[in-house]
Amino acid sequence: MKYHIISLGCQMNQSDTERVRTVMHSMGFAPTEEESEASILGVIACSVRQKAIDKVYSRISKWNRMKNRKSLITFVSGCILPSDREKFLKLFDLVFPMSELPGLPGMINHYGIVTPAGLQTLDAGRQDMQAAVIVSDKVARSILNPVAAMPGGQTLQLNPGKDIDQFWHVEPTYTSGFEAYIPIQNGCDKFCTFCAVPYTRGREVSRPSGEIMDELHQLVEKGFKSITLLGQNVNSYGLDKNGLEVSFTELLHQIGRYGDKSGKEFWVYFTSPHPRDMTDDVIEAIVQYACLAKQIHLPVQSGDEHVLLKMNRKHSMEKYRHIVHTIRRLIPEATLFTDIIVGFTGETDEQFENTRKAMEEFHYNMAYIAQYSVRPGAASSRWEDDVPYEVKKVRFQALTNELTKHSLVYNKSLIGKTLRVLVRGRDRKEGYLSAHTEGRIVVRFASDDASLIGQFADVRIMSAAPLSVEGERVGVMVSQAVD
Amino acid sequence: MSTDNLHELIHIRHLTPSAFVLRMSRRGLKFKSGQHILLGKAGSIHNREYSIYSGENDDFFEILIKEVDEGLVSKQLKAVKPGDKLQIEGPLGFFTLNENDIHTSKFLFVATGTGVAPFHSFVKSYPQLDYLLLHGVRIAAEAYEKADYQANRHVLCTSGDTSGKFNGRVTDYLKNNPVDVNTHCYLCGNFNMIKEVFDILEQQGVPAGQVHAEVYF
Repeated sequence: MKYHIISLGCQMNQSDTERVRTVMHSMGFAPTEEESEASILGVIACSVRQKAIDKVYSRISKWNRMKNRKSLITFVSGCILPSDREKFLKLFDLVFPMSELPGLPGMINHYGIVTPAGLQTLDAGRQDMQAAVIVSDKVARSILNPVAAMPGGQTLQLNPGKDIDQFWHVEPTYTSGFEAYIPIQNGCDKFCTFCAVPYTRGREVSRPSGEIMDELHQLVEKGFKSITLLGQNVNSYGLDKNGLEVSFTELLHQIGRYGDKSGKEFWVYFTSPHPRDMTDDVIEAIVQYACLAKQIHLPVQSGDEHVLLKMNRKHSMEKYRHIVHTIRRLIPEATLFTDIIVGFTGETDEQFENTRKAMEEFHYNMAYIAQYSVRPGAASSRWEDDVPYEVKKVRFQALTNELTKHSLVYNKSLIGKTLRVLVRGRDRKEGYLSAHTEGRIVVRFASDDASLIGQFADVRIMSAAPLSVEGERVGVMVSQAVD
Repeated sequence: MSTDNLHELIHIRHLTPSAFVLRMSRRGLKFKSGQHILLGKAGSIHNREYSIYSGENDDFFEILIKEVDEGLVSKQLKAVKPGDKLQIEGPLGFFTLNENDIHTSKFLFVATGTGVAPFHSFVKSYPQLDYLLLHGVRIAAEAYEKADYQANRHVLCTSGDTSGKFNGRVTDYLKNNPVDVNTHCYLCGNFNMIKEVFDILEQQGVPAGQVHAEVYF
């Protein structure tokens, strides 16, 4: 029996989907890319834009039509606004928040579906009415991350409920053998007016640091090279625990000390930090340890004080400028990425110009620029989306030009240098592999050797384009433990 | 449904035909003055953010609410009765006083409408504060419980009639009465007021780091 999952939206949803896959595999379901082959169809929803929610409605409408021809179970989870959740209850068989993922086998069994894992139990002669429950418990145990095992060999009781901790105990099924996400936090307390996440994922909850470290150890031991700590506001990590959990800075120190001791080569990233909580000691921690990647993603959203106020970002440009200056002073080699929204409600030409000037000032290596669109459920959805589409397009292009101007200057400065890169896959250009540097600059080089994928290599940079560089491999260093 | 975050309504105090204060059981909920909560009826999927009105040391918990004409939650909350349960998430937010400044600094509080709520909480929690409160309203009847503030520290700015201490908007008052540049300024209320006050304070030389804002959207 097979399952098919559609994952919409951000890295958090991709990471969540890795855990959903584990639960599906534990029930004996195999993945399929074809909806028509699946018995279970699921969607991990995103509420960032109406377009993403429209996709969910369109998909469930199709799946419900398919039910006329075959027996199917449908489910939806992820980022869902309360108003959509009510509508989904009438359309999907199962609607559950991610925190209740460990209970999915039980929910499916209650539908009377005999799972492949359940069939094995029945074949073994357990044909009593409790079989489904036994399967459910067995599956629940099998999806537990070994890190959830208690001291002394005790097994942690998996009690599917509304506690996000239970979700974090599910071991993810990674889609890559060398790159992974580790969720360190769920939810958001910031209430930016353009964003609905506080209403879909709820309040900030920090994952226990012990679990984060255990998951990191496992990944590094398995040879993962690029690990990204995920959260809506990673640098407010621990604040919800009122002193009972370490701070984000201390978490970075713990990771750094482990990296130094491990003798392994790997890079740890984090996304996204919020400028309000970005303190100098976070940057000072990054300086100290080789495994903490010298790449910082610092969303600015707008370079205008009034727009920042209207976005309820709770930081000033003065504060943002201080952070960037500290990064430049302490980690001059660091690359800087950002997020920007153009055409936010009421944004004037003068306000946009301040954003363009900010790009000129901060010389970003990459900027994820979005044209503002109404996010249902967010506070700004009550305001008129009054910047015309054509104006947004012009502003988007102006910032793109600004970005490429500065990134090209930086990329040209790399020519002649030999850089350590992580090879990530085949490039679109025939006969080339694609990699990225520690600073996440895209590097392509001529090679057909697929065995390099997932390995570090040294590449001498020969030419530069605005958003990538090209070079020649000067050697392959398969990372090994240092005695 | 979890009952951890349910608070019982003790009473409702109507200040004007549309503004009211909900007093609820405290149940040990800790907060810092200036923070806000998400409040809704028990069991409802709908809630809204409201600044906390009561003081940090009060035995109860109060929220100042203005009924919104096209609103959903404010109408539901206006209809609650003593004994009803209300659902609270939080406290949340960063619009709080720096503890090092409380005894040593001068404060300017600027509010419009129910934006006065966090300042009411500041004054209740720290009666010794050296502050001046500018409260912008349309008419004097909207000066919610102004007796709770020292008369010489409270300037009611009325834009709709001449019943206030100052006839005009808070922005007009500030233009006529420049602020000492060492003052810590806290602004709460509608976005347009906050935007204008930001500019005025900047022109008057108040450093941006001393200006804090909580916008009511």
